Amino acid sequence: MIVFWLIIGLLAGGVVAWGAERLREGAARWVSLAVLAVALLVLNKIWATPEISAHGAQWYALERMSWIPRFGISVQLALDGLSLVMVALTLVLGLVAVVASWTETARRRGFFQFNLLWTLAGVVGVFTALDLFLFFFFWEVMLVPMYFLIAIWGHEARAYAAMKFFLFTQISGLVMLLSILGLVYAHYDASGVLTFDYFALLQTQLDPRFGFWLMLGFFIAFLVKLPGVPFHTWLPDAHTQAPTAGSVILAGILLKTGAYGLLRFVLPLFPEASLEFRFPAMLLGVISVIYGGYLAYAQTDFKRLVAYSSIAHMGFVLLGVYAWNAIALQGAVMQMVAHGFSTAALFMVAGAVQERLHTRELSKMGGLWTYAPRMGALTLFFAIASLGMPGLGNFVGEFMVLLGAFEVHVPLTIAAGIGLVIAAVYSLWLVQRSFQGRITTVAAFRDFGGRELAVQIPLALGLVWLGLNPQRLFALSAPVVDRLAALAGVGP
Amino acid sequence: MNLEALWLIPAAPLAGSIVLLAAQGRMPQLPAALIGAGSVGLSAFVALSVALAWGDAGHAPYAQTLWTWIDVGGFTPRITLYLDGLSLVMVGVITGVGFLIHLYATGYMAGEEGYCRFFAYMNLFVFAMLMLVLGDNLLVLYLGWEGVGLCSYLLIGFFHLEDANGYAARKAFVVTRIGDVAMALGLFLLYRELGTLEIGAIADGARAAWGNGSPMCTLAALLLLGGAVGKSAQIPLQTWLPDAMAGPTPVSALIHAATMVTAGVYLVARMHALYVLAPTAQLAVAVVGAATLFVAALAALTQRDIKRILAYSTMSQIGYMFMALGVGAWSAAIFHLMTHAFFKALLFLAAGSVISALHHEQNIYRMGGLWRRLPIPFACMVIGSAALSALPLTSGFYSKDEILLASFAFGATGPWFWAIGSAAALLTALYSMRMIVVVFFGAQHHETSGHDGLNMTIPLVVLALLAIGGGWFGLTPVAAVLPDGGAGAEHGGVLALVTMAIPVLGVVAGWLLFTRRSSWAHLMQTPLGEGTRRLLSAGLGFDAIYDALFVRPFVALARLNRNDVIDGVYVGIAALSRSLHRAASATQTGHLRWYAVNMALGVALMLLLAIGG
Repeated sequence: MIVFWLIIGLLAGGVVAWGAERLREGAARWVSLAVLAVALLVLNKIWATPEISAHGAQWYALERMSWIPRFGISVQLALDGLSLVMVALTLVLGLVAVVASWTETARRRGFFQFNLLWTLAGVVGVFTALDLFLFFFFWEVMLVPMYFLIAIWGHEARAYAAMKFFLFTQISGLVMLLSILGLVYAHYDASGVLTFDYFALLQTQLDPRFGFWLMLGFFIAFLVKLPGVPFHTWLPDAHTQAPTAGSVILAGILLKTGAYGLLRFVLPLFPEASLEFRFPAMLLGVISVIYGGYLAYAQTDFKRLVAYSSIAHMGFVLLGVYAWNAIALQGAVMQMVAHGFSTAALFMVAGAVQERLHTRELSKMGGLWTYAPRMGALTLFFAIASLGMPGLGNFVGEFMVLLGAFEVHVPLTIAAGIGLVIAAVYSLWLVQRSFQGRITTVAAFRDFGGRELAVQIPLALGLVWLGLNPQRLFALSAPVVDRLAALAGVGP
Repeated sequence: MNLEALWLIPAAPLAGSIVLLAAQGRMPQLPAALIGAGSVGLSAFVALSVALAWGDAGHAPYAQTLWTWIDVGGFTPRITLYLDGLSLVMVGVITGVGFLIHLYATGYMAGEEGYCRFFAYMNLFVFAMLMLVLGDNLLVLYLGWEGVGLCSYLLIGFFHLEDANGYAARKAFVVTRIGDVAMALGLFLLYRELGTLEIGAIADGARAAWGNGSPMCTLAALLLLGGAVGKSAQIPLQTWLPDAMAGPTPVSALIHAATMVTAGVYLVARMHALYVLAPTAQLAVAVVGAATLFVAALAALTQRDIKRILAYSTMSQIGYMFMALGVGAWSAAIFHLMTHAFFKALLFLAAGSVISALHHEQNIYRMGGLWRRLPIPFACMVIGSAALSALPLTSGFYSKDEILLASFAFGATGPWFWAIGSAAALLTALYSMRMIVVVFFGAQHHETSGHDGLNMTIPLVVLALLAIGGGWFGLTPVAAVLPDGGAGAEHGGVLALVTMAIPVLGVVAGWLLFTRRSSWAHLMQTPLGEGTRRLLSAGLGFDAIYDALFVRPFVALARLNRNDVIDGVYVGIAALSRSLHRAASATQTGHLRWYAVNMALGVALMLLLAIGG
């Protein structure tokens, strides 16, 4: 029951943090820190335990409790290699988020930490739920506290951004719910059993046309989350307006739930329909790579630039998922983790700059390296990482996505390659405009101190490790990826 | 030491870089210099011992696998270092010349802000460059390839407070990245077709799978050439190199003359198996080289900035190397790569001494009459220029001579390549003479200051000796690796005499032309002369064309779409629903009469519909 208690622990931790802040000012963030640290230790323990064999796969944890038996709904939580990677990423970036916003929030700090932990709990649920109703439940759970994080602690246009985020996610969630119900009905129709169980639904025999529409419903929901063009426009507003912790969690983790959904549900539940939809999906990925990168270059707002760059990087994930061979899929998984690291770090820098200068406008920055060499060097590092420098994780991800995609569709791979040039343009432009060039005089600009470095340097080292020794990560996700890759053989 | 120490060669500068970066700029200059230059010196020492061990072991290729990088779905690139004659020559140049330049830099950069950071980047560069030449598969090579590009970017923009330096750095990175993407596509193609990225396996696989002139092989070779063209600043991706001179002069010497820019030559030589199978691609290499060597030599003729003269000269000399590869004179290309590293590093470092003696003056027309004041840089410049012009008995003579003679022997088009190469050799002698005469003779315009320490003079002297004698013994180690077996063309005959005489002629003509400054000045003042000068100074206008064709449209379109048209659709939907909401809520007036009238109208309408139906 370790996953179950992990989620309960995060939820309870949120409540405790809220209460603790009432007792003692500044206590909430310590509670969050402790809860996340313990959660990571727990996860580490699962890592070591022997694997469970069930449903033709190996599991680190597999838990099932009855919930609403009448409708075939149960609390079914499971950890396989992919889930484990994603949950670990969630908890690590959760820690980053707490540290990044250590001094940022002045108001209602207890409630802030509450929302943070509840979002994380929702995300962990999404990454582990193998009952489709439960999955949808967690999908909503992570949305509402995130909405509060943006709406309450966000920047100047927070109300607009929060509402936009809420509407996009909510409408796409509705589309997904319809698809879930459609799938469950189809399964009921065929077998007479009403169930939301993932493993049961995997066996559903679907009419191809109906299956295609169901697939499309899931796909749209996940594409909005990813986000892919043309459903990306909530992201720049939400990421820019959110407080630093919100941006870190949004870009670092929440976007990955979309990609995870594709890998966990869309491809396995609808292999034929997904294969049929393969090229449109890859095309959307490539368009996201180029269009997102191009818009990133056009921005004058530090955070907005990083936000748009996320669209480009997640485009690689989409391309890799639908290129659908072992190399590209592993590339997509790597890209998710590496992008989580690099973008979280860049948002942290953006937050730190805004906290010091009270602006995100790049035209009001310049030469900040002089005041803050450590911050400058780290920004440079993560910008270089995000443009895909070999030796760092992002390169491994993007290279493998492209290598895998090349075997499937050459013109699309070439087009995505152009995205690599654009990434160089906007990433270096960002560093130039903020930390290099002519010095803007500022009154006081504090460099990163021990607290920030304690987070930034591990993230940087993590990217080096992923870049030079990615095999540890690939070994975790390999069983999932290999099963998915085998599915690609069934279609046309 | 034995061959197992191979990994230490790249590890030493990497360690140096990490230590210097970790010091966060707080290390005093002396230890920073010791680590910075010392790590490369250590690397050179290990390289020498490994070379001896390799010789004892009978010159057999040696591979050292450090770990498996990736192992997914049959894609199993390993971090493996591979030592053969070719990589050994490259390692020798990188660590040997690299160490001399590092040593020089300890003096040249003294007192500069960011001394520690400078050596951290330089060491990182040496590491990446070593990975490039030691990688046994194309992915490790690509790691080094992008790594040197990164360090080039970091060091061009080293003085980052100047916006112009940042621009030059980004330009270098982005332009070369265009080539790099082509190269990456070449890697994808090779992997798809041959199922491996290991260089030896690619050569075997290509021979087995592809016939002579196979289109797939040609395509792969051309894509790799794209990467080579970007990195080695050949037409059409050459425009970044002159601007790259914004970096400190030791950087120009190491990265933009001796090592990184020759990586393209190394790549083509390393992948020779593909080019041998794809004559069209190999011809393309020759054409690119011939075009660049001539155009760049022309452009060098009218530059005013001493470093830009040398930059165009570098571009031109790499053009010779490309032409050599293209006509199948593989060993001559690598031979010229090595001698060029000696004399061009010497020229840059000597220029650096002149520049720093004149308080960062780089315009040659504000120099003049310096030969008495700066005797060592003067002597070095003369020696370097002699080698650059390929005057007999200097190192450059042996390598360039081989290239030109081999070009002549290259089938029906050979004489053309020879003619272009020889014409550019004449230009080379001319622009070298112009540089020497204008900088060191005539009236002195500026006072000099400062004095080079031993740490700057020793590298100059050693490089000067190498620039003279570095070509006397030929280049045997590459013979076993490259397809021409290292066989140089026959020396002798009228052709050889003419080829040898051309640079001498150029030097004499140059002396006559530039010492009487009026004659050159007159030529430049005619309308035609002025126009030509402008065109040549601007590097024949490539920048302007690219600016108009690519850069400006890219920027304009980005500005135009800053707010994302797609978002406009959603904003439109929101606005529409809001106005519908307003229209609907406007009917709720709260007046009873209004509701009554509407109700009556509605009933009437329904009745009408009912009757009509």
